[in-house]
Amino acid sequence: MTRRAAPVLACVGLLAVWQIASLALESDSFPTALEAIRTIPDILGDKESLINILASLRRMAIGFGIAVLVSIPLGLSMGRSRAVAAFFNPLLMVIYPVPKAALMPIIMLWLGVGDITKTLVIFLGVSLPVIYHSFEGAKAVEEKMLWSGAAMGLSPLRRLVRIVLPAALPEILTGCRTGLVLALITMITSEMIARQSGAGNILFNALDMGQYDTVYAMIIIVGAMGICLDAVFERIRARLVRWSEPQFDMPLSFS
Amino acid sequence: MKVVPSRSSEWVRPVTSQRPASAIIEIDRVSQVFQTSTRKDHVALSDISLTIEEGAFVSILGPSGCGKSTLLYIVGGFVSPTRGTARMKGQPITGPGPDRGPVFQEFALFPWKTVLGNVMYGPRQQGVRATEAEAHSRMLIQMVGLKGYENFYPKELSGGMKQRVALARTLAYHPEVLLMDEPFGALDAHTRTRLQNDLLNIWERDRKTVLFVTHSVDEAVFLSDKVVMMSKSPGRIGEVIDIDLPRPRRRNELLLDPRYQKYVVEIERMFDESDEVGSAS
Repeated sequence: MTRRAAPVLACVGLLAVWQIASLALESDSFPTALEAIRTIPDILGDKESLINILASLRRMAIGFGIAVLVSIPLGLSMGRSRAVAAFFNPLLMVIYPVPKAALMPIIMLWLGVGDITKTLVIFLGVSLPVIYHSFEGAKAVEEKMLWSGAAMGLSPLRRLVRIVLPAALPEILTGCRTGLVLALITMITSEMIARQSGAGNILFNALDMGQYDTVYAMIIIVGAMGICLDAVFERIRARLVRWSEPQFDMPLSFS
Repeated sequence: MKVVPSRSSEWVRPVTSQRPASAIIEIDRVSQVFQTSTRKDHVALSDISLTIEEGAFVSILGPSGCGKSTLLYIVGGFVSPTRGTARMKGQPITGPGPDRGPVFQEFALFPWKTVLGNVMYGPRQQGVRATEAEAHSRMLIQMVGLKGYENFYPKELSGGMKQRVALARTLAYHPEVLLMDEPFGALDAHTRTRLQNDLLNIWERDRKTVLFVTHSVDEAVFLSDKVVMMSKSPGRIGEVIDIDLPRPRRRNELLLDPRYQKYVVEIERMFDESDEVGSAS
């Protein structure tokens, strides 16, 4: 009961603080929470805005999907083979600290300001945490578990798919969850830099034109998207790794 | 009956191309050298030769760090020896295979699979039909005393139950040799005793060859036909003792049997002696 009410309470609380702060500051560039919320139906009702938002989500889904498909096999191979890890580690260490948005102008020079550039930036943003967590998860897989598989006749490749992958899945999904948040962030920043379409485009255009209600309404929409995506992902994750959840930690008393 | 420790040379005969008809595993002058973190060579096994006969329950008994597990891993094909060869039915061992089934102290179950899923894993891997594999696995689960726990996950089981599952999982793909690496080492005394009894009951039905690594003298004598004693640094084979006790063995009868007691006392004495030599050097 309280567990369900708590997140709602937190959101309502945040909006209340916002409302009070905005009334106290009386600034034109800081609309009240109610004003921002009232603008949301206008944005979602507008066909063009909706197309923009859906385009953003599509890029995000593609970028995230490709990143996961590439990063999990790479991370797992790195975790199980020292040679693969030795080759890719320095490369990743160079890319890791660079803000992906900072690479965008360069990528734009090569690939233009279209979908490919933005999707690539999302891909880069999502890849690193997923690679890292897949790597750590694969490294932690018990050697004896792999030996047991080898004794059953599993080839090295099959061991990677049938043993390392499921054994590392809880860790991989932790990486994917971080990746999902980063996908949302890089989605908006990429549209901030290459303004052409998307949710970020609406937000920053409104900012330029001084439509602060729309700016804040978009922030709420993006925030809500994040919450929804995370909630959906968490449900999927919980189903996939039920076997590793802590409520299973109480062994039966029987020898 | 007197315990007559056969000299190692009698048992550890050099392996010739003419292997004895009943030999299933031959370990031929195997040495294993590891490089330690300080780049020093650590000799884990030094020039070991040993023949295991088909259908025998053989224990390798030694103090921790004597390389007994390493020897088992070499037979399993999980570790390649630095020198020498191990053979299974005359064929050099180059890697793991379903003819040699390991059971580890750490259980090493697949945590994402249920008890049934774990036991079915090997047969399914080898292309046995699902219905057939399931029926056979259910029978094995019942045999190891876990009927009713088929749909439990490893996390929900106690240590003893996990090791029962691990044993069933290995038996499920019909290995010719069971390689048991201190399988009861992580269990409490009571659970350990129960699993020893049950293992013996299961083994006495089909008499698979078992290579059983342990540091417990009681366990080795209770279970084995032969006890191979190993000493520490470098790992060498010492005495090989035939345990001439009747089967089927029952713990309550055996504990009162003076022959059993004599074996235990004698082996413990030899164990202490070799330990003193080991620590003096």
